[in-house]
Amino acid sequence: MSQLLEIIKPDFLLHHAVYGSLVVGLVCPLVGVYFVLRRLVFWGVALPQVSAAGIAFAFLLQGLGLNYFSGSESQEKHLAIIGSLIFTGLAILILAWLERRSQGMSEGRIGAIYAAAGAASILFVAWNAAGETEMLGLLKGEIVSISEADFHAMLDVFGVVAATMLVFQKEFLLVSYDRDMAVTLGRNVLLWDVLLYALVGLTISLGVMTVGPLVIFGFLVLPPMTALPWSRGIMSFSVLSALLGGISAFGGFYVSYTYDLPLGPVVVAMAFILLLLSSAVRGVRAALS
Amino acid sequence: MGYGKNAVLAGVDAGIEAGSFVGILGHNGSGKTTLLRTLLGLIPPLKGQLVRRGAGLGLVRFGYVPQKERLDPLYPLSAFDVVAMGTYRNVELFQRLRGLGRRGFVQDCLAAAGAQTLADKLYSDLSGGQKQRVLIARALAAEPEVLALDEPLAGIDVTTQKALLKLLGELKQDRGLTILMVSHRIRAEKGLFTHILWCNDGKAAMGTTEEMLTGELKEIFHGEAG
Repeated sequence: MSQLLEIIKPDFLLHHAVYGSLVVGLVCPLVGVYFVLRRLVFWGVALPQVSAAGIAFAFLLQGLGLNYFSGSESQEKHLAIIGSLIFTGLAILILAWLERRSQGMSEGRIGAIYAAAGAASILFVAWNAAGETEMLGLLKGEIVSISEADFHAMLDVFGVVAATMLVFQKEFLLVSYDRDMAVTLGRNVLLWDVLLYALVGLTISLGVMTVGPLVIFGFLVLPPMTALPWSRGIMSFSVLSALLGGISAFGGFYVSYTYDLPLGPVVVAMAFILLLLSSAVRGVRAALS
Repeated sequence: MGYGKNAVLAGVDAGIEAGSFVGILGHNGSGKTTLLRTLLGLIPPLKGQLVRRGAGLGLVRFGYVPQKERLDPLYPLSAFDVVAMGTYRNVELFQRLRGLGRRGFVQDCLAAAGAQTLADKLYSDLSGGQKQRVLIARALAAEPEVLALDEPLAGIDVTTQKALLKLLGELKQDRGLTILMVSHRIRAEKGLFTHILWCNDGKAAMGTTEEMLTGELKEIFHGEAG
């Protein structure tokens, strides 16, 4: 209990890490609900891995002497963010274009991209021994050592993502649920798809930099899966998913800090326990009724 | 008309008058749904021109009722939520930020489709006939000039089919709607149609119901009726 009180104190040494985790936990599920509803859950696996490959590629370029951004630690992070954004954006564009054409096997495409991105990440790291340590730190997620400036930048970006997701919820729902209806209502389906995918790309790119690919995948998929059976309407689904993500993040941080465990896996385990609890309660309710 | 480079229907020459009830009929795979989707602007015509002109020469306002199986049951939406989508024609950001919705109007549309008691029920839990009423209510919420329905009677029992057809007849009369309805069977609906657009062998022909009840079509009508 004393540790819990310590964590929530404003002068807690790692307070940026606590609030940073909380923000990622609250915002990622807002994007993740559309992965679940559009039955694109595997995008949540592949895209963080692609983002990680982008980070590794950016550091490889720097290792090869293309160090326009190198120098301070902050500039290195900017380089990594650019790499992550470009790779994630390209992967989303390719996947979305192929989805719209509705040709071939969707799962096969995503699996191929995941495998290629995983292999590329390892190879980029292997070819860049000089930057290996920094890169591995970024790929694992450096939330614990997040700086004041990065924390505020993250707050700004995730704030914009969350506000856009909530304000344009009706449009995102309409084009996801019934594209034909959206067209007959005169809505520009491509425009709203592009906006949604841009928000997805931004969230994943920045999230992977902050907490690593594993935690981002966990936040994108587990809270919405837990929330779905208890939700009525897209607003309740989004809000409940975000709350579950926030609980997983904060609870995970508390357990990680208290028992000196690695943060990322604990947060994902926490989200998974909530999913198991939800399934158990539903099972009991079904048995009783 | 068709998909990609594959033409499904060719030589379609038809005009639809305001206030008519057009049955788009034909056998399975004859191109009925392709024709409707082209009219709605969901797929572009491969060749030729499609003019859709509504009242005041503006674009036609469509209310679309898709095949109910097209909508994913995974979405946790109530019947009310589904109908409310019909009102999403404009962003209306100001109203949205002030928390103003169109609840009363959505309730009215549900009532007009005889689905007011379904508002709070999960859409995916509804029966086929109930889903169809909710989708008709959603189309009404789009404040349409033209109601376009794709196989609305498929997979529904005969009693519910009759009730839905009665509802469509009332909507046409009370609201002056133009109705386009795709169906692969014609016995139950033929009394309602003012016109028939018959799709067969890659071609489409249109005329009044009386005009069309000749030759092959007459035999099919009588065959089904018998």
